[in-house]
Amino acid sequence: MSEAAKPTAAGRPPAIEVEKLSKRYGEHEAVCDLSFVVQPGEVVGFLGPNGAGKTTTMRMLTGFLPPSDGTARIAGHDIFADALAARRAIGYLPETPPLYPEMTPAAYVDFVAKLKDVPRAGRREAVDRALERCGLSEVRGREIRQLSKGYRQRVGLAQAIVHEPQVLVLDEPTVGLDPIQIREIRALMAELATSGGQTVILSTHILAEVEAICQRVVLIARGRKVLDQPLAELVAGGSTLEEVFTRVLTRDEAESAAAVGGPSA
Amino acid sequence: MRHTLTIASRELRSLFVSPVAYVVLTLWSVIAGTFFLASLIGFQEQQIQLQQYQMLDRLEQMNLNDQLIEPFIGSMWVIVLFLLPAVTMGLVASEKANGTEELLLTSPLSIWDIVLGKFLAGAGFVAVMTAIVAFFPALLFLYGEPEVGKTLSGLLSLLLVSITYVAVGVFGSSVTRNQLIAFVLTLVLLVVIGMMLPFIVDITMAGSGLGRDSAIAQVVAWMATGSHVDRMLQGLIDTSDLAYFVVSSGVFLLLSKTVIESARWR
Repeated sequence: MSEAAKPTAAGRPPAIEVEKLSKRYGEHEAVCDLSFVVQPGEVVGFLGPNGAGKTTTMRMLTGFLPPSDGTARIAGHDIFADALAARRAIGYLPETPPLYPEMTPAAYVDFVAKLKDVPRAGRREAVDRALERCGLSEVRGREIRQLSKGYRQRVGLAQAIVHEPQVLVLDEPTVGLDPIQIREIRALMAELATSGGQTVILSTHILAEVEAICQRVVLIARGRKVLDQPLAELVAGGSTLEEVFTRVLTRDEAESAAAVGGPSA
Repeated sequence: MRHTLTIASRELRSLFVSPVAYVVLTLWSVIAGTFFLASLIGFQEQQIQLQQYQMLDRLEQMNLNDQLIEPFIGSMWVIVLFLLPAVTMGLVASEKANGTEELLLTSPLSIWDIVLGKFLAGAGFVAVMTAIVAFFPALLFLYGEPEVGKTLSGLLSLLLVSITYVAVGVFGSSVTRNQLIAFVLTLVLLVVIGMMLPFIVDITMAGSGLGRDSAIAQVVAWMATGSHVDRMLQGLIDTSDLAYFVVSSGVFLLLSKTVIESARWR
């Protein structure tokens, strides 16, 4: 399970290092003792049923939510001790893209580039490149509020990649899109992962998406890690991803029910 | 600092494409025009009256600053109390409602950048409001000879009051994601600070054993805006009055920063 937790041979720090991360809201434990490592260049699918703690984990990684316990390092920078460097190394697309509806994609991406400390000299090129990679060149001058949901999602992605971050954190990037838009966004993510050499951590519950672009899968349920394996190994036995997950999650549920001593749900 | 300006300029641009900004600026201009006209007519009537009654010594004392500009600007700052909350209500609340708060808080900047950026944007907006008001006394310079120093000091007081109230607005906007709540909260705070504090002192101090000269009464009276503005309207620029604007802005900005920061820990 912890096969990926080995240090890198090249001496480069892991892209993401999560160490015993926990988040509690009062009695409720949203994320509990979560640890995993993502190596540079890896594309990892971060999966789990609704309410498993995916968004909470991503919010802690990006510095939006302070963890109750544990810590994480982004490209070697601690999210607490070295917060600004860690944030600079991350591109983040939250579940709802953080857009200003009255702005144009070009002005908006430029604004984000300034926030993320893209040097002035290369900023225009960086903005143009981000817009182009996300297929936004034609609508760059239109107001975001007039754009379709698929285009807005692309603006969200452009915002996440404009400063060419080492790590890309994408929270359900295809939720609520139609099949064609899903295919487009998915192709875009695959392109970013292969041509950009970026580390991507992607939360989703669409298994086809995972099969299409991820190399490794981290599955969590009720805030705990239940599976962390390369995709190739998971489907090696001939079973589909869906079968594997259903099996793992059902077993996990049974175990937790047994641990509590109550009737199984 | 760079990030502060980035946030401020984005906010200002968004403010000026929002209908709220234009509704406020239109109302503000109409009210300013009406008040100025009323002050002008009042000035004229007073002059005629004094001439009729042959009160030449009083007639001699009449001047554009004391009888026209001062009451005009003095009534405009009260209007700020009611209009400004509409401008500031969205400053931070809309970031929360839009989800853009998540972008700002995951970017390499400090919370002070956000708070000061919003504050600066609001300050830029009230500078425009003050400029609109300044247009009317400027007209008087074409036809008469008001004192430049006194007029500028009056306009400065209006600008400083408005900027201080922007800080209150930033705070009102940072405690909620709902712009209506932010509006009401800011309005209540401004009405208390701007109008009610002197009465509160009177009522509570009269009932208790403490006199009106007690330390608490004086502190609370100092917190009220009125006396500080009045002195500046009369052309007296005192460090203690300037300190009032700086301290109260600082307090509300610090509160805003604390509120935004603590919201993440819940």
